[in-house]
Amino acid sequence: MIQVENLTFSYTGEPFIEDMNFSVERGEIFGFLGPSGAGKSTLQKILLGMLPNYKGTALVNGTECKSADSTFYESIGVDFEYSTMYEKLTARENLVFFSSLYKRKVRPIDELLSKVGLERDGDKKVSDYSKGMKSRLNFIKALIHDPDILFLDEPTSGLDPANSRLMKDMILEEKSRGKTILLTTHNMQDATELCDRVAFIVGGRIFALDTPHNLIMSKGAAGVTYTWSENGEQTGHCDLNNLSEDATLMKLIAENRVTSIHSSEPTLNDIFIEITGRTLV
Amino acid sequence: MRLRNLLIWDIKFQARYGFYFLYGFLTALYVILLLSFPISWKANAAAILIFSDPAAMGLFFMGAIVLLEKSQRVTSFMSITPTKALEYILSKVISLSLTGMLVAGVLGIAAGGKNIPLLMLGTLLSSVIFTLFGVIIATKTTTLNRFILATVPVEIITFVPGLLHLFGITPPQGSLYPPNACMDLVAGKGFPIPGILLAIGLIAALMYIAHRSVLKMWQSQGGVKI
Repeated sequence: MIQVENLTFSYTGEPFIEDMNFSVERGEIFGFLGPSGAGKSTLQKILLGMLPNYKGTALVNGTECKSADSTFYESIGVDFEYSTMYEKLTARENLVFFSSLYKRKVRPIDELLSKVGLERDGDKKVSDYSKGMKSRLNFIKALIHDPDILFLDEPTSGLDPANSRLMKDMILEEKSRGKTILLTTHNMQDATELCDRVAFIVGGRIFALDTPHNLIMSKGAAGVTYTWSENGEQTGHCDLNNLSEDATLMKLIAENRVTSIHSSEPTLNDIFIEITGRTLV
Repeated sequence: MRLRNLLIWDIKFQARYGFYFLYGFLTALYVILLLSFPISWKANAAAILIFSDPAAMGLFFMGAIVLLEKSQRVTSFMSITPTKALEYILSKVISLSLTGMLVAGVLGIAAGGKNIPLLMLGTLLSSVIFTLFGVIIATKTTTLNRFILATVPVEIITFVPGLLHLFGITPPQGSLYPPNACMDLVAGKGFPIPGILLAIGLIAALMYIAHRSVLKMWQSQGGVKI
């Protein structure tokens, strides 16, 4: 669905995106992770056909991005991190207006409003919406023309846990409907939960690209921490895959003296820092 | 189809923002003013009113509309829809020109104008020119104050020669200058074909610049921060 080969882009002469290569399959959720200024925005602008002066290949749905035309945008939906609505219009009016810009068959507006819990707020002006409500409305605006490819930017930002869950379920539902989704997020938990594969981007280069599970597992096994009582509380550590070789733990288990035992895997955030030497701020 | 939808919604937005209410009120005020003037003043007074307000409304209202859309990040979203920059511009130019022509027609009739079709044509040409100037300036500015400041040179090169031309304080070749040709039409003082052709040429040039300006605005705005 998306193919990027030897992609290089520069704003000033110095390469900002450098020799980037990756592909995204149909029906895949692909995450871009990186700190601010890493090149995620620029990369997405290239994929959205907005920066045509790149070198290399950037194919989206079979179209070279620098040649993007109206047809190209019929199959793309974008959920910006910020609201992109007419504030004086109601949610329903906004959805009707934006859907009128597409030739594709439009999804039922009431159904979409209902899916994100806004069925009773459809006739309210957007200016009266809370930040979370605007986020949900922005999201369904990206879905209104039933696009094949979705670009989502921090889709759970500003949402409470219940609505964040609702949004993530909707993203997974779109995936199950065969949609290809490009997700940009700082939220490692979302990325781990939603993405089939993620790319770590820093300084305009991809540092790592794999499934979240493989990335986590590639950097050593999970650790196990256990405690027992012996002249006060004692603590021991070992690797999960060497559990049976830890004589102390085996002895404690045999004597039923373990007071607590926990396994802990490195998070995607830990892996990001380890691979790139950068934090995601 | 998309242009028609954009036009319908542009008219709805303008109605929602009180634009037509404001123009209804101003038109009534102008009609009262015109009716109170002596007959000998009416023709020139109507021409000045029409040239400086309904014909030029696009210059100021485009600033308000585009800056509002920018502030609400609607332009960011427009850039990733199938909407073409030309459709975006045309819908705004048509919606504002239609309103300008309607108001100008009412004022022309109130002033006892004899050549309303010429007046409407003059208003249309002026309105398109002013609205395109408005688009170009609005895409390059970020605040209303800067926009208003940036429109001053446009006002100087259009209103001042137009007014001087209306009162005959210009050389005979004055009608070649597009704003003057528009003023001739609005005032019903003739049909200066070379000036009209030059006005159409100016519209084509402004349309080209406005198109590039909107694309540039979309490129710099659209997808920003994504």
